[in-house]
Amino acid sequence: MLPSLPRSSATRPRKRKIWIPLLAVGIALSTVACQQVQVVDDSPQGADVTSAPIGDQTIIEGGDLVMALSAEPDRLDPTTSSSLYTRYVMQTMCQKLYDIDAEGDIVPQLATALPEVSADGLTVTIPVREGVVFADGSEFNADAVRQTIDRGLTLTGSSRRSELGPITDISAPDATTVEITYAEPFAPLTAALADRAGMILSPQALASLGDAFGDSPVCVGPFKFVERVPQTSITVERDPLFYDAENVHLDTITYRIITDSNIRAANLRSGDVQVADSISTQDVGALADTDGIGILQIGSLGYQAFTINIGNTDGVGAAVGVIGTPLAVEAEIRKAFSMSVDRESLVSSVFSDWYESACSPISPSSPFSSDASEACPEFDPVAAKQMLEDAGVPIPFPITMEVTNTPDTLRFAQALQAAVVEGGFELSISPIEYSTLLDVQARGDFDALQLGWSGRVDPHGNMFNFLSTGGGNNYSGYSNPEVDDLLTSAAETNDSAERADLYGQVVEIVQEENPIVYLYRVRSLTGYTTDIAGVETFADGVVHLSNVAFVEAE
Amino acid sequence: MTRYLLTRLWQSAITLILASLVVFVGVRQLPGDPALAMAGEEASPERLAEIRTQLGLDEPIATQYVTFVGNMLRGDFGASTRTGTPVTDLIATTLPVTLWLAGYALIVAIIVGILLGVIAERFRGRWPEWVANGFALIGLSVPNFWLGILAILYLAVTVPIFPASGYVPIGEDPLQGLYHLTLPAIILGTSLAAVIMRQTRASMIETMKTDYVRTARAKGLGRSRVLFRYGLRNSLIVVVTIVGLQLGGLISGAVVTERIFALPGFGKLTLDAVFTRDYPVIQAVVLIITVGYIVINLAVDLLYSVINPRIRVGGSN
Repeated sequence: MLPSLPRSSATRPRKRKIWIPLLAVGIALSTVACQQVQVVDDSPQGADVTSAPIGDQTIIEGGDLVMALSAEPDRLDPTTSSSLYTRYVMQTMCQKLYDIDAEGDIVPQLATALPEVSADGLTVTIPVREGVVFADGSEFNADAVRQTIDRGLTLTGSSRRSELGPITDISAPDATTVEITYAEPFAPLTAALADRAGMILSPQALASLGDAFGDSPVCVGPFKFVERVPQTSITVERDPLFYDAENVHLDTITYRIITDSNIRAANLRSGDVQVADSISTQDVGALADTDGIGILQIGSLGYQAFTINIGNTDGVGAAVGVIGTPLAVEAEIRKAFSMSVDRESLVSSVFSDWYESACSPISPSSPFSSDASEACPEFDPVAAKQMLEDAGVPIPFPITMEVTNTPDTLRFAQALQAAVVEGGFELSISPIEYSTLLDVQARGDFDALQLGWSGRVDPHGNMFNFLSTGGGNNYSGYSNPEVDDLLTSAAETNDSAERADLYGQVVEIVQEENPIVYLYRVRSLTGYTTDIAGVETFADGVVHLSNVAFVEAE
Repeated sequence: MTRYLLTRLWQSAITLILASLVVFVGVRQLPGDPALAMAGEEASPERLAEIRTQLGLDEPIATQYVTFVGNMLRGDFGASTRTGTPVTDLIATTLPVTLWLAGYALIVAIIVGILLGVIAERFRGRWPEWVANGFALIGLSVPNFWLGILAILYLAVTVPIFPASGYVPIGEDPLQGLYHLTLPAIILGTSLAAVIMRQTRASMIETMKTDYVRTARAKGLGRSRVLFRYGLRNSLIVVVTIVGLQLGGLISGAVVTERIFALPGFGKLTLDAVFTRDYPVIQAVVLIITVGYIVINLAVDLLYSVINPRIRVGGSN
């Protein structure tokens, strides 16, 4: 126990004591008064800005760029990685067979054309580049592609297996041709090859490093790995062997891990970093109005949703069980909830219009978007309340919602809580830490919860595992044979229009049965200092730095 | 003294074994599944089962504990489930950062705290005392994270004196290393400086009333000599105790400071490990912290007798 201070000043004039609180209050007020106030523009914030082009600015060759990264990547092994942030780093070191462009379309990268699919859909042929070398100087060819894809299918701990589909054989008949044979047609392959499954690894490095490949990855890319300081940073440097090296301007890129969004914004302002990802909607308005700072933004392919447990009794992936609550049994109650949510107003008030409302798992920017997938349930709280009365349940109808304890999520949850009152719902918020919520979700130990999905280029990745019976991410425990058939058909069809139609039909059913009530879609908000140019961000949420350069001030 | 030391070492070993058990079981009682945290969005049931096998989480808990202790005794703490980096490497790279930060913060806190404490005593009832008291009030009541954000805003953005983030190992470039650590050390040391200031002031007020100080003054010793040689030196016993007790707080305070300034320290390592349920890392860092506490407590007990020979430990004279 600390000794108490002697009351030595007891006999002094009392008025002197007021200096202490006055001093403290004065300092506190001065600090608060000097805070930068968020400037909220009245104009819509949603226009996509995907790049800061170099244009006719004068490039300064060389330089070391620092990017503030909001989370630490996991192991730098494209085969095992399950973190979005690993993609940020890997895309500068490991080119893929395919990439997506600013419009969200898939384009060849290490491949030379889109895959050719046989008439029966079972054989996929991919032509690949020649005259390309890995960062270790070894030759890139079709056999290297074969080995990488084979590793994705067979390596213990691979996260790529399900993305690659039911492959029965993979071969490299010549140096520039890869042939993949399927047991059943699998349309999402091209999209998978535009992600980590398509990052081709150096066979020479694989042979020497084995499972430790992620400690020192070697691929074909504009930059090559230098070092990783755990918890702190990852540094890459320009690879002179890269086939398009003349369009690479920086000497090095350092990804510095700064998890707090306020601190990322402060680092951007101070110039300690030149790029920062995941700018908070609380900071972005003020940053956008700051001289010397620009903002890139694009809608996400993922979504944030309200998942209702209607059959997950024994954990995700297990057989669907029976949950006897009215919310789980009565689809009309779930539909009433969906109709009680004014998504536009919520997003506008909570995120100052920087995010956008969502009613389906398919982003409007997706090539598979359709009128059906973009349709939204009508906002009608009066009708919602009537539906609750017709269902004979008590009003207000109580629902407990588990959410993560992050400020943005809690602000949205509280706004949602207030918004659904008019529709006759009483929402209780139960905030828990992220890892715990993942566990709760997987075990099915919840009535309802709010979590998001980062999104995949192909809708298959956003829907199949979430909505098909026994799907690996079907946390709701939803099972509808019609939906299963539609999703399977969509995965086996290579006709994009037909796939869009099939996914649209699924969305219509899901909006009636509401195992998942889709709420909003975040936008990737990336800040950059205007002394650089060439930074890009596409719909997959990854910030591309490969062609960035420092430019002379105008 | 030797017998006391041996007894304390033996007690410490028992504490360490108990701590390893508590940590091991406690970590596994945390809600949340490390396999889920590791698999992230790719968490299919098959993938989860594969990860659990890979991490040995499907073994009985007793088997897991025996394996853990056996490996630990061989100096093998395993590898981070998230990044695959050996835990010993993680500790080797992060611990020096935190020790430098805590050491720097301690020096800042001691210098500022004692200086302000002496000033407060020397100028009792006058404005320097109120300034010192105001500092103590702010240091104790304003949380670290808020001070840190304000410091970045004003001392790195508005007036760019210090870097807002980044770390340079002291071994590579001492000047740059200290430069990058200065702002975090000031922020981390603020609350400890406030505590030291209050204790120094209180203790000195008591000391200056004692008979031996009065005698020293009566002998005609100068004011400064009395203040520093008799007043301050005898007051330092309390200060050393406080520093010992607060060192743990300094290390735990480093968690927040390291996060704010993106320093690759032990605190940040711990926090990230807890959030990602990285069992090997959590176990290792908690054990290291336990060892740290044991060593610090032992050191403080021994320091008592060094600073003041009247004090004897273990009942001996």
